Amino acid sequence: MNPTDPIKLVAELLDLPIQDKDGRWCGVVDDVELSGTPGKQARLAALLVGPGAYRGRMPRWLFAISRSVLGDDIVRVPIAEVETIGSSVKLKCAATKLKLGSGDEKARAWVPRWGAL
Amino acid sequence: MKGTARARNGFAAMPRKSLLLLFALASCSKGPQADLQYISQARSLTAEWALINEQSSEGKLTDTYTRVMRADLREQLQTTAKSLTQPNSRYGQEIQAVLGEPDHASPQALRSHADQLKQIEDSLESA
Amino acid sequence: MTLGIMTAVGGFVDISELVFAAQAGSIFGYALIWVFALSTIGIMVFGEMSGRVAAVAHQPVFNLMRHRLGLKLGLVTLLASMVSTLITTAAELGGVGLVLHYLTGAPYLLMAVAGTLVLGASMWILPFKWIERTYGLLGLLMLVFAVSLVAIHPPWPKVAGGFVPQVPSGLSTKELLTFGYFGVAIISAVMFPYEAYFYSSGGIEEEWGPKDLPNNRLTATVGFALGSLLAISILASSAQLFGPVNVGPETPGTSALEAAIPFGKAGLLIALLGMLIAIAGAAVETCMANAYSVAQFFGWEWGRHKKPWEAPRFTIAWIGFLLLSLIIILTDVDVMTLVEYAIVFSIVVLPLTYLPLMLLARDKRYMGQYVNGPLANGLGWLFFAVVTAAAIAAIPLYVLTSGGQG
Repeated sequence: MNPTDPIKLVAELLDLPIQDKDGRWCGVVDDVELSGTPGKQARLAALLVGPGAYRGRMPRWLFAISRSVLGDDIVRVPIAEVETIGSSVKLKCAATKLKLGSGDEKARAWVPRWGAL
Repeated sequence: MKGTARARNGFAAMPRKSLLLLFALASCSKGPQADLQYISQARSLTAEWALINEQSSEGKLTDTYTRVMRADLREQLQTTAKSLTQPNSRYGQEIQAVLGEPDHASPQALRSHADQLKQIEDSLESA
Repeated sequence: MTLGIMTAVGGFVDISELVFAAQAGSIFGYALIWVFALSTIGIMVFGEMSGRVAAVAHQPVFNLMRHRLGLKLGLVTLLASMVSTLITTAAELGGVGLVLHYLTGAPYLLMAVAGTLVLGASMWILPFKWIERTYGLLGLLMLVFAVSLVAIHPPWPKVAGGFVPQVPSGLSTKELLTFGYFGVAIISAVMFPYEAYFYSSGGIEEEWGPKDLPNNRLTATVGFALGSLLAISILASSAQLFGPVNVGPETPGTSALEAAIPFGKAGLLIALLGMLIAIAGAAVETCMANAYSVAQFFGWEWGRHKKPWEAPRFTIAWIGFLLLSLIIILTDVDVMTLVEYAIVFSIVVLPLTYLPLMLLARDKRYMGQYVNGPLANGLGWLFFAVVTAAAIAAIPLYVLTSGGQG
C-alpha cells in the first residue's frame, strides 16, 4: 500500500520492520508522528525510529530502564521517504541518508574484518 | 504391557541451589523422604557403574571412556552421599559401601548394592 | 534440505533429548513414545508455518512477532525467550564439554572452554550454508542409535504399542505426576522455541521464495521426523537395556552405551562423535537464534549470509550470548540442572512464540494465496492448545514432582 492510503495505524504500521532501498534492515517503526489539528483528518507525517520513541508506549518506570540500557535516540523518517508499507516499510533512500541503523556503524569499529569465508 | 511403569523415581538431579531448594524444603526438610531423591540417584549411579564395568570386561569400551566414567560416577556418588540428611541410616551406609568398592569392582557386587538401594527406594515410595 | 536436518538433529537430539529420552524409556518403558510422536507433529506444523512465512513474507518469525504482539508483550516475549534460550545454550555447551571429556579424558571445564572456542570460530569463519551443512551432515552419525535399536532386537509390537496415546495403569499419584511432568518436558524439549526462530531465519538466509515451498514442506516433515526417530530409538533402547538393570541414567555419557552394547568400541565412538556434533549443532542453533531474535526485534542488520562486519551488532550479539553461556558453565553448575531450567522456562514461552506465528500464517495480507489452509489451521490451533495446556501445567508439575523425581 502507499503512504497516502488510509491506514489502521496500530494494526498495520506500528512495530513494522524497516528496509532501505538496498534491502538493508535499518530499524523498526517505534512510533508515528501525525500532523493536523483536532477535528481535522490526521495525516501521517513521519515515522519515529529509535528507543526514545518508546516513551509514549510504555509505563514510565519501564521507559527509565529502557533508556538506561538502550538510550533514547529518535530518528525521524519523513513520510515522503517511504516507498511502500506492507509486511515491512520500504524506504526510497539509503539508510545512511536518514542516519538510520547508525548503531551498526558504531558497532562496526569493534568487529575485525578478517577470517570469515 | 508388563513392567512399563516402575515404582521408582527418575530424573533425579544433582543437588540444586536456591529456588529448587526452597521447593524441596517446602515439601519435606529432613529424613528418609527428603533423601529419597538421593537414594534414587545413588541407585542409578551404582547401576551405571555396574553396566560400565560389565561392558568394559567384554572389551566393548575404550579405556579412556571407562576410566572417565568410573571417576565421574564415583564423584557424583560422593556428592550424593554428602547431600544426605541422614548419612548414618541404612541407605547412607549402603552408599558408603558402594564408595568403598574398587573402580574395577565386579558388576555383580555393584548390582547387589544397587538392588539394595532399589529395595529401600521402593519401600519409601510406598510409605 | 540440510537446513531441516540441522534443525532437526540439532534441535531434537540435543543434550536434553539425550538424557530425557533415555530416562523416559528406563522409567516408563515404551509408554512415552506417543508424546514424542505427537510433539513431532506439532513442531512439523509450526516449522512448516514458520518456513512458509519466511518464504512468502520474506521475513522471519521474530521480525513480525513484535508487529503482532506490540511493543510491551513483544518485549516480554523477547526477554523470556532470551533467558530460556541462553540457559539452553549453556546446557548445550556443557554437553559439548562432557562429551569431549568422555572422548579425551581431559577435564570437563577445560573441554567446555575449548569446545566453545571451536564453535565460536566455526560460526565466525563459515557462512550459513556451510554451518548447516557441516553440523547437519555430520550429525547424521546419530543414526547409530537407530541402527543399535534394531541390533538389540527389541519387542517390536511393544515399541509400536508405545505410539498409541496412553497412560500406564496402576500408577500411584506420585508416579502419575512424574509421568505428567515427563510428558510436559518432552513437549517442551521437542518444540523448543529456538527451533522455529532458527528455521525461519535460516529460510531467509537461504533466500527462500514461494518456489521453495514444496522444499519447505519436505524439509519440515522429513527433517523433524528424522530427529524424532533418533529420540525414540534412544528411548526404546533405554527401555530394553537400562530399565531392567535399574539405570536412570544420571549421566549423559551412559546413553552412549546404547551403541556400545551391540557394536562395541566402534559403536561407542560413533555414538560419542554423533552426540558431540548434535549437541554442538544445538549450541550453535540456540546461540544464533538468540542473536536473530534480538536483531530482528530492534531492526538491526542480521544473518550469517553476510560477513560478520556487515552485520556488526548481530555479530556482537551472538558472541555475547556464547560468552555469557560459557560463564554460566564456568560456575560449575550441573549440566542436568541447566537442562531442567531450560525445559521449564521454554515451555512457558512457547504459547507466546506460536501465537503470532499462527496469526501471521493465517493473514491473507501477508501470505496471499499461501495462507493457512484448513489442515494447517486446524492442526495449528490444536497444537497451540496443547502447548498452552502444557505451559500452564509445567510449573505446578515441576514443583509437585521436585523436578521429575517424585
